[in-house]
Amino acid sequence: MRRNWMREWYLAAGVIVGLVAPWPAGAQKPADFFRQNCMSCHTIGGGRITGPDLKGVTQRKDAAWLEKFVQNPKAAIDGGDAYAVQLQQEARGVIMPTIPGMNAEMAKAMIAFLDAESKLAKSQFAGGAISDRPLTAVDLALGRELFYGTKKLANGGPACVNCHTMGTVGGLGGGRLGPDLTLVYARLGGRKAVGAWLVAPATPTMQSVFRGAALQPEEILPLLAMVEDAARQGPAANQSSLVKFFVAGFGGLTLGLVLLGAAWRGRFKAVRRPLVHGGMRGEE
Amino acid sequence: MSAAANQLLLVVFPYVAMLIFFLGTIYRYRNAPFTYSSLSSQFLENQQHFWSLVPFHYGIVTVLAGHVVAFLLPRHILAWNSVPLRLYVLEISALIFGLLTLTGLIGSVIRRLTVPKIKIVTTSLDWHVFLLLLFQVVSGLYVAVFHPWGSSWFSAALSPYLWSLVKFSPDINFVAMLPIMVKLHIISAYTLIAMAPFTRLVHILVMPNPYLWRKPQVVRWYRRFVPGVS
Repeated sequence: MRRNWMREWYLAAGVIVGLVAPWPAGAQKPADFFRQNCMSCHTIGGGRITGPDLKGVTQRKDAAWLEKFVQNPKAAIDGGDAYAVQLQQEARGVIMPTIPGMNAEMAKAMIAFLDAESKLAKSQFAGGAISDRPLTAVDLALGRELFYGTKKLANGGPACVNCHTMGTVGGLGGGRLGPDLTLVYARLGGRKAVGAWLVAPATPTMQSVFRGAALQPEEILPLLAMVEDAARQGPAANQSSLVKFFVAGFGGLTLGLVLLGAAWRGRFKAVRRPLVHGGMRGEE
Repeated sequence: MSAAANQLLLVVFPYVAMLIFFLGTIYRYRNAPFTYSSLSSQFLENQQHFWSLVPFHYGIVTVLAGHVVAFLLPRHILAWNSVPLRLYVLEISALIFGLLTLTGLIGSVIRRLTVPKIKIVTTSLDWHVFLLLLFQVVSGLYVAVFHPWGSSWFSAALSPYLWSLVKFSPDINFVAMLPIMVKLHIISAYTLIAMAPFTRLVHILVMPNPYLWRKPQVVRWYRRFVPGVS
């Protein structure tokens, strides 16, 4: 009689998950939090990027409003808060994301941090300068190599094509784990904003992947040239490359099944009988 | 997915799953050693069996091997994928083996539903395993098609996440914001690992590798089968 282990499984899983479920998240210093999550869209005294310059933000709105807003910006906009809607319009429709780890305690700490940084003559987050020189064909060629990974990034980070695609990427396209970058200039607000993102990526995934492998300043302009070129050349990548990919897979599946069928075509007649007959002949 | 859910399902759960796997496999081996197999139903029906067993196992073994290689040698995979044609060849091959897995799995479910002798020996726990495996394979294929290129971003983001678990220094940030289907695929994999000791999946640990090189054996009955005589 076979034993059914389902009861043991549920019991073991339930008990252990129940025991370890309370799992406290570690607290983070406000400056580290800002570096990881905010500086790709905001400066403190360096002017607007995608979001507003946060120097003196505590003078513009009171602490209670700020605390509530940063914990859930979308809720404030959806709730019709006039100032939140204005912020979204000024950011060309980009909604500030709810940052993982942002809670009431962190919101209070961040506001105190912004207040203190605003009082400094120059904040450490005043923003780095992305060159505004015209981008050349040489930049574009180098940008393509870096984007595809045919030229390795100096600090060993993975190439953009692994997770991102653009309208100008040929073949079966680039990756689609992250967003299509064709129109990222329009989305984030131009060279300065996209450059700031490349200096300090705002998503946890990119932060982790590029930790210890930050892009070099001389790699950022060529990548921006690639993005600018894609935006100039036309629409975002379409779904046709996915269809081609799936059709290729389905064709391979059909071929695979035919090969498996052919390889074992004699499976019902060619194994046991010859062995038995061979054995009987051996006995005679 | 909230921060707490991420911590629970992507940090705590993998450790729980591995603990259950190690303790469970040892417990079962000591207490019910003769159940430590795939509990094959080949002798009960072996015509439909071929079209489920063969595509499924060729598919899943290859796909699993691919995951293991990307985990162990992420930089080599990224280097291979730095030429687009090589990337596409790798990804299409992986998709083909994933589709073979799904074909075999569907074949297996149909066989267990339609062949009376097989249906009788299929327990509710088996159906749980089939359901989870189906989810695992379908979510994997969804991710392969709609979030390409998995071989690359697995190497760049998932491999370091898994290594952070191995080193007991979990870093959730690699995976916290990944698309929901990717996360469900990961969580479902942990669930399968945790269930393995209590199901027929345990046969992964006792693969009859010597079958590949041992001499063929003839299985002989001492008497002929006579209808109506047991």
